[in-house]
Amino acid sequence: MSAAGTEMRVPYRRSRGEQVGVFLRGDWWRIVLLGLFLVGGIAPLVMAFLISLKTIPQFARQPFALTFPLHWENYGFAFEIVLEFIRNSIIISGVTVLGVLLLASLSAYAFGILEFPARQPLFYLVLSLMMVPSAMTLIPSFVLVKDLGLMNTYWAMILPWIASGQVFAMFILRTFFESLPKELFDAARIDGASEWQGYWRIALPLSKSMLGVAAILNILGTWNNLIWPYLTIQRQTLLPLTPGLWAYQTEYFTRYGLTMAGLLIGSIPLVILFIFTSRWFVAGLTSGAIKV
Amino acid sequence: MAVKEMPALPNTAAQAVDIQERRKPLGRRIYEGRVAYTMLAPTFVFLLIFMYYPALLGLYRSAFKWAPGLDSDFVGLGNFVQLFTKDRVFLNSMDHMLQLAAWYVVSTVGVSLFIAVLIHRLRGGRAQYTFRLGMILPVVIPAIVPLMLWKFIYDVKVGPLNLFLTWIGLESWTRAWLSDPNVALYAVMLRNFPWVDGVAILILLAGLQAIPYEIVESAMIDGATEMRRFWSIELPLIAGQIKLISVLTIMWGVQEFTAVFAMTQGGPINSTMVPGMWMFWNAFRINKMGYASAIGVVLFLLTLVLTLINMKYITTEEY
Repeated sequence: MSAAGTEMRVPYRRSRGEQVGVFLRGDWWRIVLLGLFLVGGIAPLVMAFLISLKTIPQFARQPFALTFPLHWENYGFAFEIVLEFIRNSIIISGVTVLGVLLLASLSAYAFGILEFPARQPLFYLVLSLMMVPSAMTLIPSFVLVKDLGLMNTYWAMILPWIASGQVFAMFILRTFFESLPKELFDAARIDGASEWQGYWRIALPLSKSMLGVAAILNILGTWNNLIWPYLTIQRQTLLPLTPGLWAYQTEYFTRYGLTMAGLLIGSIPLVILFIFTSRWFVAGLTSGAIKV
Repeated sequence: MAVKEMPALPNTAAQAVDIQERRKPLGRRIYEGRVAYTMLAPTFVFLLIFMYYPALLGLYRSAFKWAPGLDSDFVGLGNFVQLFTKDRVFLNSMDHMLQLAAWYVVSTVGVSLFIAVLIHRLRGGRAQYTFRLGMILPVVIPAIVPLMLWKFIYDVKVGPLNLFLTWIGLESWTRAWLSDPNVALYAVMLRNFPWVDGVAILILLAGLQAIPYEIVESAMIDGATEMRRFWSIELPLIAGQIKLISVLTIMWGVQEFTAVFAMTQGGPINSTMVPGMWMFWNAFRINKMGYASAIGVVLFLLTLVLTLINMKYITTEEY
């Protein structure tokens, strides 16, 4: 959390005495109410943690309170299974996000910085895809991926996700590139730089944080997709995390200690990502609010 | 395009250059844009194969009675006619979708607004920061985890909800929440209590913080109460954000079926069926791909109409 602490500036800091005074002056009931919302939101996870330490008989006797001895070995068992899902997810979401960033930044540079005939029509052609819901393309995409022989491979997820993910990424990157001073690029051109150098040496280095925002949004989207991997992957060893956890819970449903441990382990990777990139997270989550 | 970006004075010069540019023959301008086209090429290759082609194919297939591997029969608008006149499950699923979407909007806007205002009124910067962070944290939990946990919470035998009801003496209220056709839809709807939505809270909070403090201050000096401050100043000034969240939530609610898929698969007796799930069912369980494509097209048209309404009547600013 310390990384997060440096990101957002706290405007001023009150002395200890002042803080207590603030508390007494009438913030306390707000803090209690907000605290209740937080507790309510976290309660299911706490429940999962308590259950994750139980064997089946312990759960049958005393479902929610702590029971001793604590069975940490549930985590060992779940870890072996879930680790494979996590590895798959990291490969799939990782390759996808790299592809998305490369394609989106190139096309955003063309649309945002360069001049060429049919620029506007081509841009609207891409933008119109934001209106096509994934439900509409689900069935034909499935048939396509099957015909291409991609079933039961990582590519069944990576290729379509690069195609769909780049649209929104391109959109926010183009907006950002357009806001960069034109003089930067003109000066580089006068000095003899090619457009490729302008892209690689000026636009990309300046937009690191925007690339981060686009990356986080993309990762969140692919990481949480349940339906598409469920359709295209039948081999359990290739399943990414979300459908993997679903299959895992279905398989061990009544062994609650094991399923809860698995769900909690599955939550860890994104939490780690969040700790290191919380600024991009916050900016990314509200960027859905940019006007179209 | 370049003209707009230029400051006022060199405008005419830039315009002259621009006109000069435009006088060049089209072939030459296309040639000079070759770098741009090269940069766009990979994007369009991917879009053509994995977006345009499936979208158009979906549109095309919706006019057929089609199962992969078999001959397809052209039925024109037959699939749509059947959907809206004969298919009770589909019509009910539209009704369920509307109920769900309506609830998602009410709960998201209501709860998020309440929390955002509470955080905004906190006096300590550190407390504001802490709660803001606390509200977004759940976003990093994979969406499947709360769905699975709530499936467990609703469990008839060991679910905490039933145990809690028994414990407080309301044993008659206990039921098989997700297997009882009378309540399953509401169980799906009310999952994730207390409905904290970090993204919506962030958007609303940004809106509240953008209100110039002088406005609030002058109202307070004139004796406005806290409630008055909310209803007469803050609410009108963040109306844009509220509309935006409503629109995003509705569009999401129309397409979303992951929750239904993970918790009930549309059952029991189709009581939680939504159009997306019904499409999935037709396509991948009973192999009616053409019919399912037609449902996809209906969802597309719904989204399109909502987008057009949004663009025409609701202007949103950047925040």
